[in-house]
Amino acid sequence: MPRQVLEADVALAASGDADAFERLYRAHSARVHSLVRRMLDGDEADDVTQDVFIRAWQKLGTFRGESAFGTWLHRLTVNVVLARRKSVGVERGRFITDDQPLERATGRRETVELSMDFEEALARLPDGARQVFVLHDVEGYRHEEIARMLGVVPGTSKSQLHHARMALRRYLDR
Amino acid sequence: MNHQWTDRLSEYLDGELMSAERDALETHLAGCAHCRDTLAELRAVVARAQSLENRAPAADLWPEIHARLTVRRRFSLTVSQLLAASIALVVLSGGGVWLALRDGSGTSDPTMAAFPQLVAPAGTPVAWRARTDMAVAQLEETLAQNESRLDTATVRVVRQNLGIIDRAIEKAQRALQADPGSAYLNLHLAQTMRRKIELLRRANALAVAES
Repeated sequence: MPRQVLEADVALAASGDADAFERLYRAHSARVHSLVRRMLDGDEADDVTQDVFIRAWQKLGTFRGESAFGTWLHRLTVNVVLARRKSVGVERGRFITDDQPLERATGRRETVELSMDFEEALARLPDGARQVFVLHDVEGYRHEEIARMLGVVPGTSKSQLHHARMALRRYLDR
Repeated sequence: MNHQWTDRLSEYLDGELMSAERDALETHLAGCAHCRDTLAELRAVVARAQSLENRAPAADLWPEIHARLTVRRRFSLTVSQLLAASIALVVLSGGGVWLALRDGSGTSDPTMAAFPQLVAPAGTPVAWRARTDMAVAQLEETLAQNESRLDTATVRVVRQNLGIIDRAIEKAQRALQADPGSAYLNLHLAQTMRRKIELLRRANALAVAES
């Protein structure tokens, strides 16, 4: 969709036009849902995606147009995901301590290797390592930003990224 | 495999090593096929991550989102208005239960001394039910207006519980049609209505906290 059309829809939606907001949803839902799905467990993705768009509707009045709407929405998505992470509280083995987190997750190395594609392997990483990997390698955040968002030191972000990459090497072709 | 260098390969790949470390690692790479292979694999993982395709949700989420957008700009209660309404409705519900139990005698209840307006006569079960129904309707409307402040999982839990309570109310009302004078059934209905008001009040308070 042309950028000018999206910008017009942002202005319309900010004034309360739900039809314009639906067009924004249609244009951005795949990116938002994919980010949420990669950062959290898949069965939470629909709920949290809804939360993101409802929060966006509520906060559209604060969008100043200093960045693209997509960038603003993306950052909002990350914030909603991280808030969700805090509210849920219990995380699945947060960080990687060795190079075989996927095998430990199932206890069946051969089956895992045969059946998982890259995205499935990513989904099975421990939460903290997965979030570092998604934020850095998929979404392009820097370690300092990730460390601030996750409440860790940059060194932890770097080491978890390395472990995640090492764990994902064998799922490259799937 | 030299773990000292293998563990630094991602930092090397991302250009985050100091020049002295980078030079030392490059010297090591020149003589270590294993680390060169690992570096190539890590580079491929990064490329794969950057080429992941976005996928739309399997189900269309818009209808649910649209239903929860409500009337953000048309109607919005202030925090104090919401809390005041919630507290007033709980008091009203408590009064309704009391009125249902007082058996028309007009006997004063020390627990209600702080709410003299509820100790007024004219408290028949029919009257308190009418007032409680109206109070529930108002509180439901308030929640509908503010539901978008709650997250989706909370909304689902609230709706599920409201559904359970509504079914219990419906059963009690059907039973009362057969036996209108039953003190047990009147009490049961009053307690169930009170549970509904309490749930609505809590959901509204949560919405206020989330705003």
